[in-house]
Amino acid sequence: MELQKKLEILSAAAKYDVSCSSSGSNRKNTKGGLGNSSACGICHSWADDGRCISLLKILLTNYCIYDCAYCVNRLSNDVPRATFTPYEVAGLTINFYRRNYIEGLFLSSSIIKDPNYTMEQLYESVRILREEYNFNGYIHLKAIPGADLSLIEASGKLVDRMSLNIELPSSKGLQLLAPQKTRKNILKPMSFVNSKIVETKDNRRFFKSSSRFVPAGQSTQLIVGATPDHDLKILRLSEGLYKGYGLKRVYYSAYVPVSNNPNLPTISRPPLLREHRLYQADWLLRFYGFSSSELLDEEHPDFDTDFDPKCSWALRNINLFPVDINKSDYEMLLRIPGVGVRSARKIITARRVKQLDFDDLKKLGIVLKRARFFITCKGKYYSSIGLDEMQIREVLADKSRKSHDNWEQLSIFTNMVELPTLEDKLMSLVGEI
Amino acid sequence: MVNYLYDSSFEGLLTSIYEAYYRRETPNHIFPYNYIQQSLIDSNIHIATNLEKASKVYESIHRKISYQALKNVYHAYLSELNDIEIIILNYLKLGFKKGKEIDLHLSEDNVLAIHTAAKKVTREAHLMLGLLRFKQLENNIYYAQYKPDHNITTLISSHFVNRFSDQYWVIHDLKRHYAAVFDKNSCVFTDISEQKILSSLNNNDNYEKLWKNYFTNICITERINPKQQKNYMPKRYWNFLTEKQL
Repeated sequence: MELQKKLEILSAAAKYDVSCSSSGSNRKNTKGGLGNSSACGICHSWADDGRCISLLKILLTNYCIYDCAYCVNRLSNDVPRATFTPYEVAGLTINFYRRNYIEGLFLSSSIIKDPNYTMEQLYESVRILREEYNFNGYIHLKAIPGADLSLIEASGKLVDRMSLNIELPSSKGLQLLAPQKTRKNILKPMSFVNSKIVETKDNRRFFKSSSRFVPAGQSTQLIVGATPDHDLKILRLSEGLYKGYGLKRVYYSAYVPVSNNPNLPTISRPPLLREHRLYQADWLLRFYGFSSSELLDEEHPDFDTDFDPKCSWALRNINLFPVDINKSDYEMLLRIPGVGVRSARKIITARRVKQLDFDDLKKLGIVLKRARFFITCKGKYYSSIGLDEMQIREVLADKSRKSHDNWEQLSIFTNMVELPTLEDKLMSLVGEI
Repeated sequence: MVNYLYDSSFEGLLTSIYEAYYRRETPNHIFPYNYIQQSLIDSNIHIATNLEKASKVYESIHRKISYQALKNVYHAYLSELNDIEIIILNYLKLGFKKGKEIDLHLSEDNVLAIHTAAKKVTREAHLMLGLLRFKQLENNIYYAQYKPDHNITTLISSHFVNRFSDQYWVIHDLKRHYAAVFDKNSCVFTDISEQKILSSLNNNDNYEKLWKNYFTNICITERINPKQQKNYMPKRYWNFLTEKQL
């Protein structure tokens, strides 16, 4: 098969993997070698769906022995199939890299023959790049659940990031949609990789020359909306993964309907807003000092569609506000809706030399659309409406509704709001019905 | 009213700042030579670039204010924004008064303007690290063209020196007719004309076709979102993107 055709099939098959980040590793170039990685990561393009393209994201093969209902590459699906040889993968990567199209390679694969064989092929592609082509760019490799741990270890020494996709947030969902996979099989290599990362980090503190192991950490992906699981369940799982397995990132992927299996929900569009809310909450967990129990509980197991997670938290805990910009500490500044890490740092810097007032905040570029309801500057409250949960809720929701553009044309036949008549007003005054 | 005219080099700008201090005058504008604007009431003073004076200013910014301030000034200078020279002068005047805490005064207009300009430059430089596209010429030189808003060629070249240390490459700024040329050993900056290179452009590179193919196939059509794409990757840069050529 021609290389063009193969690339077409195997990039289209890989597109549902969301991860594309190239950050977290600062691998240096070697003498006479090619490439390095930049710790902050670099995006090289943005596809028409607005997602960034940083790495050459391809599958080694899309022939699969598994039949997971949510997956486009499942055994029973009738799609064109192809397989790259390890040398083709390496050649593509090198030539794209030299033209500055990409930051490196993200290589994944369907399971061909058995997990071990697949992992060997993945290892071979990476080995060729590192050893034969002297390639020092970023490599993200998918580890195959069920493959021998020694294979995973050998690959881990060559790559920058490794990932194992959990995909479905509950064991029940896994049983229903991917009966050939088990939770244990995914978590075992994950905790193995984590222990290796911790071990090498320890070693490198004493022996600078000792080899690296997955320096950019590991990540995973969860599908949102393929199972009836609530946001609470997903967020708790992520929190557990960050704490227990030291993951760098959990990615969320809105389920794109690729099958009409009766066990899957019938939806017309991927739940993008829900995915967005989960990412917002994920950031709150990692950079803002929130815990999942603060954001969601059994009574509110799903995120509000009108407000971002931080805003709904603030509205529920209105007693903690208003916060004074000039006095409160960094942790509390971060909890003001609309104030992010960058804004909070700016405030901390600027207030060292001057008491800030409302105009100063505007100059600093702090977004005050939401923040103005929750702050005071020099003891003064600037919003025209009081610190009242319901009123703030109304003003903010009104704005978000307007911006969503989902108003509808009223007709005289639809239910008109009934205005109180004079009689009603009288009744409410005297209290008689 | 006094206007200073300088040769648009960074050293020239620093010399102008030196002169402004030692002549004890506040110029109304500091223009590059090629900026022609005749006026009856203004008097124009040509500032001859003097490396000794420039290095005095350079050193004293570093010593009396901070290294960060020096970086901010250089980045702001590269922004080539209108009248940025006079803002730099005002920023430095304030800086020599306040010392190293100058960058904390974020609500001061001149400080804010310098930070915004510097931010624009570093942002574009970072974006270009990704968006620059090299074409392989027949003589195995990798050649990249672009038209950045700001003069960032010197800023981005060190990244490519580290990354592509085993290949010959040229980064060509078509707007300023300026290029960085790397010969596997050192990187040289030079003025360059367009015609020379164009003749040897290879339009039949198989990897360009592969890349375009990849670009179309990686998109999830159910999630199409052109607004977000343009947000991250403004349309003015598309002219030089391989994947956006038909």
